[in-house]
Amino acid sequence: MQGKCGLFFTSYRGEAQIFQSGFQKLMVGLFAAVLIAVPLGLDNYLVSVMNLIFIAVIGAVSLNLLTGACGQISLGHGAFIGVGAFAAGQCSLHGVPFPLAILSGGLVTALVGMVFGVPSLRLKGIYLAIATLAAQLVLEFVFLHGGEVTGGSNGLLLDPPQMFGFSFDSEIRMYYLLFAFAALSLLMVSNIMRSKYGRAFVSIRDFYLSAEINGVNLFWYKIIAFGVSSFLAGVAGGLWGHYTGYISGEQFNIGLSITYLAMVVIGGLGSVLGSVFGAVFLTVLPEVLNVLANGLSDYIPAITQRVGAIQHGVFGLVLILFLVYEPEGLAHRWRLIKAYWKLYPFAH
Amino acid sequence: MRVGTIITAACAVLIAGLVLTGCGGEEQKPAETAKKEMAPIKVGGLVDMSGATSSVGTPYAEGLKVGVKYVNDNGGIDGRMIEFDLQDTAYDVQKGLSMYKKMVGAGAVCIQGFGSAVTEALIRTLAKDKVPDLSASYSAHLTDPKTAPYNFFTAADYSTQARAAIKHFKDNWTEERAPKIAFIYPDHPYGLAPIAGAKEYAEELGFEVVGDANVSLKAIDATTELLPLKDLGPDYCWIGGTTPSTSVILKSAKNIGMDTTFFINIWGCDENLSKLAGEDAAEGAYSNQAAAVYGQDVPGMKVIMEMTDNQPQMTHFTRGFVSALTMAEGLKRAAAKGPVTGESLKEALETLRDYDPMGLAPAISFFPDDHRPNMAVFLYKVEGGKLTFIKEQILERRADWLGH
Repeated sequence: MQGKCGLFFTSYRGEAQIFQSGFQKLMVGLFAAVLIAVPLGLDNYLVSVMNLIFIAVIGAVSLNLLTGACGQISLGHGAFIGVGAFAAGQCSLHGVPFPLAILSGGLVTALVGMVFGVPSLRLKGIYLAIATLAAQLVLEFVFLHGGEVTGGSNGLLLDPPQMFGFSFDSEIRMYYLLFAFAALSLLMVSNIMRSKYGRAFVSIRDFYLSAEINGVNLFWYKIIAFGVSSFLAGVAGGLWGHYTGYISGEQFNIGLSITYLAMVVIGGLGSVLGSVFGAVFLTVLPEVLNVLANGLSDYIPAITQRVGAIQHGVFGLVLILFLVYEPEGLAHRWRLIKAYWKLYPFAH
Repeated sequence: MRVGTIITAACAVLIAGLVLTGCGGEEQKPAETAKKEMAPIKVGGLVDMSGATSSVGTPYAEGLKVGVKYVNDNGGIDGRMIEFDLQDTAYDVQKGLSMYKKMVGAGAVCIQGFGSAVTEALIRTLAKDKVPDLSASYSAHLTDPKTAPYNFFTAADYSTQARAAIKHFKDNWTEERAPKIAFIYPDHPYGLAPIAGAKEYAEELGFEVVGDANVSLKAIDATTELLPLKDLGPDYCWIGGTTPSTSVILKSAKNIGMDTTFFINIWGCDENLSKLAGEDAAEGAYSNQAAAVYGQDVPGMKVIMEMTDNQPQMTHFTRGFVSALTMAEGLKRAAAKGPVTGESLKEALETLRDYDPMGLAPAISFFPDDHRPNMAVFLYKVEGGKLTFIKEQILERRADWLGH
């Protein structure tokens, strides 16, 4: 059959499709197949890195919905993830089945996120950033002094997740579980982005006044953005807690919030694919630095012990380089690479 | 566009790096049994050598390294060397977890851990993988094998340390009235860990607990927090913190003329305290320690001096050294019984009874149902800028204190 040269849409429905061409569907399908096959050939360590990536993807895509799509900056995302971890953890400890525990963790976090999102009606930009920073600090305090609920300074110990009598107690089993959750989260956010809600979020981000004139209820949509974003953050937290088997307030500090913000910026604000790139990039970066340092340790013996310190420097440097040279993130770079190959060998 | 190319290239390198790691991982197949007999025993080290606790993590890591070297120089474990892979976790849980996975994947049978963040995040994973972790996070709840079966450490836990000092003060209290005690600590898991247990014991011994003050680990002044405490007139004040935060508290206390006897947690006092706080401010403060200070007259100190070319080392170094020695003792016992695995090492460590790490620390015992290494604490006093040994305070191994 003779195909079209390029993509032409004759309906809005066609344009709004998640996968716009058959080729794209094929590629995504192949990629998913590779991801399903890949852990069988990897050692435990690499599977664990993949697991961390999946959790980071859920966290990053949720923040990207709030900050990238709706333009509401949040410095409290790390704490929201913590709320989900503790809520889901408590549910599990009280015998709630795993899927419901994760769901409840998400819902509790959504509620908390919506409460802390209320100031966003009045506050914008740096002021909102400070308000969400306050949320981070308040929640950190609660984690530490939550008594029985958060385990205080001792934290909470959790068992590996169980579903229908099947225990996810190894890295590979967790891999498939986390993969499923990450895929579902990506699908969910992609779908929100092409719905009425997604368009409202983007309009608020681009110019709140125009959005309001067009009939977008600012307060409602901002709160919804906080709610949905926090829900997914809560899911990520719940998964993290069940994956590591231990949660304490220390894990969900401001550093985590900044890391997620960095993932979103590096990946590309407002892009679902960008969240994936950012999450992969920032999770893999320390591991690669470690490998490099171990490789160099024959020549510079002390370097493996300095990697931690170097890493912070590299992290800062990478962030600055991205802000200066690739402010639209890796997602933009990906589009350029695709365009290059689409037009190959004719550059323009 | 050129910068763009660089970014593309950087991403490509990153991906290639990951792929290479993959290849590296797969090559490490378990050695054949015959070769395994003499193969080195792999031990991973997860220590914070950068980040919030680097000032104490670095000397601790040095102590571990020298300890392992000492064991290897003296014939290793039945002729097998210990291969020590020391990595910097920078007090970052995620980093610690992935480094741990890598070490265990490479065949490590034991982890030498450090800070509470990473150690506690690993509790369940260690139990699942059956890999013992000898850490430097001395939270009491790690001593209960019911919650943390594969966690060990070689110093008395924070609560026991506080209780030991309180006992010493009570024994030397001569006045009629009840002694008053107050607690200064950061609002942080490490700071909070011993408080409940210490208060309970103080009340049991007839102390009057008069108040608390929260001083952050990053504080640069503590006057505001200490003023209300000064009015309560405590005879003794517990300080939980790090050496820098303790020095801030001592300086502020001196400025406001607070007249009390301070006693300081294990990480809050070392050889640098007098330098940071000033000799006047630090004078007379008590310090709980779990290892000898440099130059003390014990057999192990000569070994350390020899191995470090007579360069003065901090007490954290000595604790790292002791942790390595204890691990080696466990490994030797495990090797004597059969193949060395994480599980056999755990069982071997649980057979230790009053193991003496060359006098560098109080004798260490572990039991299958009780991982408290000992109930003994070295009490030191800052005198003329130096840590002077006062006594070894030994408490009863009370069952109700296990894990608290």
